[in-house]
Amino acid sequence: MHAARNIALCTKDCLCLFICPTGATDTETGQIDFEKCIDGCRLCVDACPSHALYLVFDRYPEKEQKSHSLGSALASVAENKVTQEAICKALEQKGGPGEKLAKALAVSNRILAEDCTRESNYMLPQTEHVQVLLAELAERKAEKDFPYEAVEYLQKEYS
Amino acid sequence: MGKAIIYSDGALAAICSNLEKACDKQMKPVAASQFSQLSDYFNTMSPPVEADSFSELVGLIDSDISSGYAEVERIAKEEGDRGALRCMTWGKKVTSIHKSILGRYEKQGDALLEQNNLYVCEACGFIAIAKQVPALCPICKAPSSRFVQIS
Repeated sequence: MHAARNIALCTKDCLCLFICPTGATDTETGQIDFEKCIDGCRLCVDACPSHALYLVFDRYPEKEQKSHSLGSALASVAENKVTQEAICKALEQKGGPGEKLAKALAVSNRILAEDCTRESNYMLPQTEHVQVLLAELAERKAEKDFPYEAVEYLQKEYS
Repeated sequence: MGKAIIYSDGALAAICSNLEKACDKQMKPVAASQFSQLSDYFNTMSPPVEADSFSELVGLIDSDISSGYAEVERIAKEEGDRGALRCMTWGKKVTSIHKSILGRYEKQGDALLEQNNLYVCEACGFIAIAKQVPALCPICKAPSSRFVQIS
């Protein structure tokens, strides 16, 4: 586990600078230097008066897999939501007075679809389920404009 | 893991944009941008839809409420899956609000939008039609900072 900083909460009291044994908090990126950060140390997390620092797992315990029937039912709601999103995007393209409403509904439907995918095993990038998905996506390498390098990077990052 | 579920490109776009957010939360901006590229790709790959009016949404919304969400809820209860139940509780509420907004728009027409702004809660998808950003999301209780204004 390493520390991460929520810059929106940081009040620049900078107690993390004094307390960190390795200087991992002393960066100009707004973020912690993950390479220097000591696994599970949490001194900065406890020292920060603004709760702007927290620990992130490097490896999460594998979650229990959803049953196939639950996964399918969630996938079918997600599919229905992306269909609605597509309709809304088409209405947005049409322009006119309803354009903004169409856009709001498209954004909302995407959020609802994402929530369903989170609950059907795609919550965290560092899971076997996502690895399986990435392997499937890699098979689409030959498609025009397919961002294969992105798949390669993610397979390596989360292997 | 059971049989694999086949997702459309539109759903793959949502899976990838969600994983992009997950990487952002873990402060992994490079990984996030890879998922973002994938999501963009699937967005452009999903076939364009012909649509003329908002009424085309109503049937889909009704089927979400009466069968889609109901089915997930039934299985999630059976399996004691609290995460999926939580997702259904919020999703159903937000979806019902979509329906009521479309009803209001049908009655009041463009006047509804001319006098108000549109805000979407990024935590749960709730849409507010109001002059000012809500202080609190009525569905998921997220603060006003979680709302985006649609422009």
